[in-house]
Amino acid sequence: MIKRSSRLATVTVGVALLFTLLPLAYLLSVSLMKQGEISAGIVWPSNPEWGNWVDAAASRLPRGILNSVITSLGGAVLTLVIALPAAWAMVRYRTGGRTLAATILSPWLLPPIVAVVPLFTLLRVLGLNNTLAGLTIVYALANTAVAVWLLEGFVRKLPVELDEAAQLDGAGAFRVLGSIVVPLLTPGLVAVGVIVAVLNYNEFVLATFLTQGPEAQTVPVVLSLMLGERLQDFGKIAAASLIGVIPVFAAAVFLQRWLVAGLVSGSVK
Amino acid sequence: MLSLIVLGFYPLIFIVLTALSESSLGRPFQEWVGTANLEAALGDDDVVASLLRNTIYAIFVSAASAVLGVATALALFRSARSGAVVRTLLLLPMITPPVVVGILWKLIFNPSGGLFNTVLSFFGYSGDPVSVLASPTFAFLGIAVADVWEWTPLIALLVFAALLGQDPELTEAAALDGAGGIRLFAQITLPAIAGTIAAAFLIRIVLAFKVFDLVYIMTAGGPGQSTTVPAYLIYQAALQQFDLGRAGTITLLLAVVVTVVTLPVVAITRRLHHD
Repeated sequence: MIKRSSRLATVTVGVALLFTLLPLAYLLSVSLMKQGEISAGIVWPSNPEWGNWVDAAASRLPRGILNSVITSLGGAVLTLVIALPAAWAMVRYRTGGRTLAATILSPWLLPPIVAVVPLFTLLRVLGLNNTLAGLTIVYALANTAVAVWLLEGFVRKLPVELDEAAQLDGAGAFRVLGSIVVPLLTPGLVAVGVIVAVLNYNEFVLATFLTQGPEAQTVPVVLSLMLGERLQDFGKIAAASLIGVIPVFAAAVFLQRWLVAGLVSGSVK
Repeated sequence: MLSLIVLGFYPLIFIVLTALSESSLGRPFQEWVGTANLEAALGDDDVVASLLRNTIYAIFVSAASAVLGVATALALFRSARSGAVVRTLLLLPMITPPVVVGILWKLIFNPSGGLFNTVLSFFGYSGDPVSVLASPTFAFLGIAVADVWEWTPLIALLVFAALLGQDPELTEAAALDGAGGIRLFAQITLPAIAGTIAAAFLIRIVLAFKVFDLVYIMTAGGPGQSTTVPAYLIYQAALQQFDLGRAGTITLLLAVVVTVVTLPVVAITRRLHHD
């Protein structure tokens, strides 16, 4: 197709970029301001200083980032382990027909706050309250439905003949899954894994109500606690926010192709 | 299967049971009260108002995100200059943690020295600093701006992917037949991406009904009740008043409202995908 570039299109992209990046640039600017400058109504500090970044790095934030990375990656791997056989069974063996896919996705319609009390009670019974293990398990289960939904699109594109050939050669269902489906589906698994990991990393409601101490609190919780302090230090909060988003932004830059592939596969099937 | 039971059905049953009983956080299911909780919630103006508020909000931010998202996607598609770097940058809001999004816009709307007021005064405004998030009229608009900023990239991405997936021969044939500009868009491009737009709109509405982090961070439901969404009421009922019966009831009412609002969109999405 002849791709014509129009001036209107370029201007629109420019405006979209400005609207997208300006708030993030302002966050950077505030993180480099001194307390007095923040309330002075300036756009960029005359003397940018990294003091806020040093303060933020000395807070509970690094521990929070570690907790976030552990729970989001651990949760994502567990989610894939549960979701792949489910998605595969639903596509290949029509398990549950059309209703099952819709049914397991239905809790996603409600805000996660509604699950806090039942999950809190459940974790207390299991003795996993305020632990990274507990939060990881909750994340693993919380995104299983979304992962199944996204993976379905990838599984559908696999040629069914490969499965059949392996079965003719005497491979059982789990053997087919392990030796045929998983290797072929690696791009899809990475894509869905990245999305789920980002969702976990950004999750706030479950993390804030299911953890009570620094040993299990994640980045969003640490940030909300800074905002709740009696003397709000906006410069430090801005710096902490930026440090906190580095892992997801890095993931987005390096894994952009997979992130996009995963999101698109879910909606266009 | 286990995860299905634990995460899908256990909370659901828990919610239904609490809605039908007098329950506190420490001692759930003290006494069965039938529909008393439901009657109380439906007679409570705060509950009804918050459901209505969230419905209007969801439709408004979804429409805004859809228009901006489709415009961005079309522009990306038609602009030769936008490479992978531009696309990655445009996706950033979507992967920013909602808590950070809330902090970011709270700083921008900060009455003492925030970017919003700095820009206002740059354009000649000289009155008292405007405190967007402390105004009963504008606070929800402030949250809406943050919400639109956060989720418009998702719609742009999905629609952009649909544009790339079009059959190029069809567009070329139409162009050869003399269709151009608006006609080409309305008769060839729009029908090809309508299904995706509808699906993206559906996802967007649901996300808008789930808004909690932004409200919690930016306004805490205030001033007054002006930004109290049902998710926030559920939080207050369950974790501040320890009244699980009320929380469960509001949850069920919200589920009904979300279903009713999304049903027409689901129907449209299905029809567009089957054409």
